[in-house]
Amino acid sequence: MLKSWKLKEVVLMSLFAVVFGIIYLMFLHLGNVWSAVIGPIAYEWIFGIWFIVSIIVMAIIRKPGAAVIPETMAAAIEVMLGNAVGPRLILAGVIQGLGAEAVFAATRYRQFNLAIYMMAGAGAAVFSFVYGYLLGGFAALAPEYVLLMFVIRVMSGAIIAGIGGKYLVDALLATGSLRGYAITKRDAHA
Amino acid sequence: MRQWLHRMNPSVKFVIITISMITMAFFFNPWTPLVFFFGVVLFQLAFAKVSWKIWGLMMLPFLLGAIGYFWTTLVFGNDNADPIGTALSLSFRVLAFSSLSLLFVFTTKPVDFILSLMQQLKLSPKIAYSILVGYQFLPVLKDEFVQIQQAQQLRGIVKPKSPVKGILAMRHVLIPMLAGAVRKAERTAFAMEARGFTGDSDRTFYKRVTIGRTDFWMTVMFVLLVLISIYAGITGPAIQK
Repeated sequence: MLKSWKLKEVVLMSLFAVVFGIIYLMFLHLGNVWSAVIGPIAYEWIFGIWFIVSIIVMAIIRKPGAAVIPETMAAAIEVMLGNAVGPRLILAGVIQGLGAEAVFAATRYRQFNLAIYMMAGAGAAVFSFVYGYLLGGFAALAPEYVLLMFVIRVMSGAIIAGIGGKYLVDALLATGSLRGYAITKRDAHA
Repeated sequence: MRQWLHRMNPSVKFVIITISMITMAFFFNPWTPLVFFFGVVLFQLAFAKVSWKIWGLMMLPFLLGAIGYFWTTLVFGNDNADPIGTALSLSFRVLAFSSLSLLFVFTTKPVDFILSLMQQLKLSPKIAYSILVGYQFLPVLKDEFVQIQQAQQLRGIVKPKSPVKGILAMRHVLIPMLAGAVRKAERTAFAMEARGFTGDSDRTFYKRVTIGRTDFWMTVMFVLLVLISIYAGITGPAIQK
C-alpha cells in the first residue's frame, strides 16, 4: 500500500497529524471539564473534531490509507506528547480512521465532495461508537440514552468533521500551497 | 527493580496494556476495576520512578470524569439489579484505564516507542520516521502558532470573548499553520531523500530497542494482576442485594 506513496505525502500526513494532535488535546481537556458536569455525553457534541484530520488529508492526497494513517499518527503524536489517555488512543485512532476510510473506499477513492466528506465523518462516528460502547461500558446504560449519544455523535461527525473539514481544505487550497498534490490535479481535469 | 517499567520494551508494554484494557471492558462489577486500579498503582510504586505530584495532577480530570460517569450510570442506567454496583464499576473503570495510561506515559520515552514500533512490530520506516519528523517539528509549530497570533493582533484582529466564537476564530491561525506545514513537509522530504532515505524496511538502525528478561517477568506480573482482578470480581460481594 505504501509503495505508491511519495515521501513528501507521508511527511505531510505526519505534520498535519501534529497540528491536529495538539488541537485534539485541547478539545480533550474541554471535554474532560464538561464531562464531570454532564457525564460521558459531554464528549459527543465535539466528537467530530477528532475525525477531521482523516477527511482533510484524504481530500488532499486521495490515496488508499490517507484517512486511517493520519488519524492513527495524530493519536500516536498525542501519546508522545505525554497525554494521559495513553496508548488506548492509538487503537481509537485506528478504528475512527477506518470508519472514514471505509466510506472513501466505497467510492473507490473517486468521489470527493461535501456529501462524501459528511458521510466519512459519520462513518468515523459509527466505528468509534462501537469501540466506545465496548470500552466505555455503554451496555450498562439505558438504550434510549445510548441512542441519544449515538445520534449526537454521528451528527457531530458529519457536521464538524465533514463540513468543517471541507471548509478548511477549501481555504487551504486557496492559499496555493497544495500544488503538486492530487487535490489540484484531479480538480483540473474535472 | 525501580527501573523495571522504564526498561521494558515499549511495544511489549503497549501490547500488554491494550490487552489488559480490552479484558477489563468485559466486567461490570465494581471489584475487578478497583483491584486492577490499585494493582497498577502498586506497580508504579514498586517498579517505576514516578513524580506523584504530576501523577495526581494528571489523574484529577479523570477523577472528575469518573464522577460524571457515576451519576450518569445511576440516572440513565440499564441495570436494575445492582445500579450502584454498576455505576461504581464504570467509574472505577475510568480510573483503572487512566492509571494504566499514566503508567505507560510516565515510563516510556516517546522516541523509543516509535523506534520499537518499527523494530518489533514492523511499522513501516516511511511512517515511523515521518512521525519522528513531526515530533521534532513540534516546538517549531508551537512557536509559529504564537507568532501568527501575534502578527494578527498587530494587524488589529481582536480575540473574540465568547468561547464558541473563539473556537471558530481558530481557523485564522490554523490555515496559515497548515499551509506552512505543507511547505515544511515538502522541504523535509527532499532533505531526507537527498540523504539516501528510501523508506525500505531492510535498513540498519543507529539505536536498537530490544526485548529482554524484564519484559518476560513484567508480562507475567500483568497477567497475574488481570487474573487476580477477575477473581476478585467473581468472588466479591454485590453492593446492593
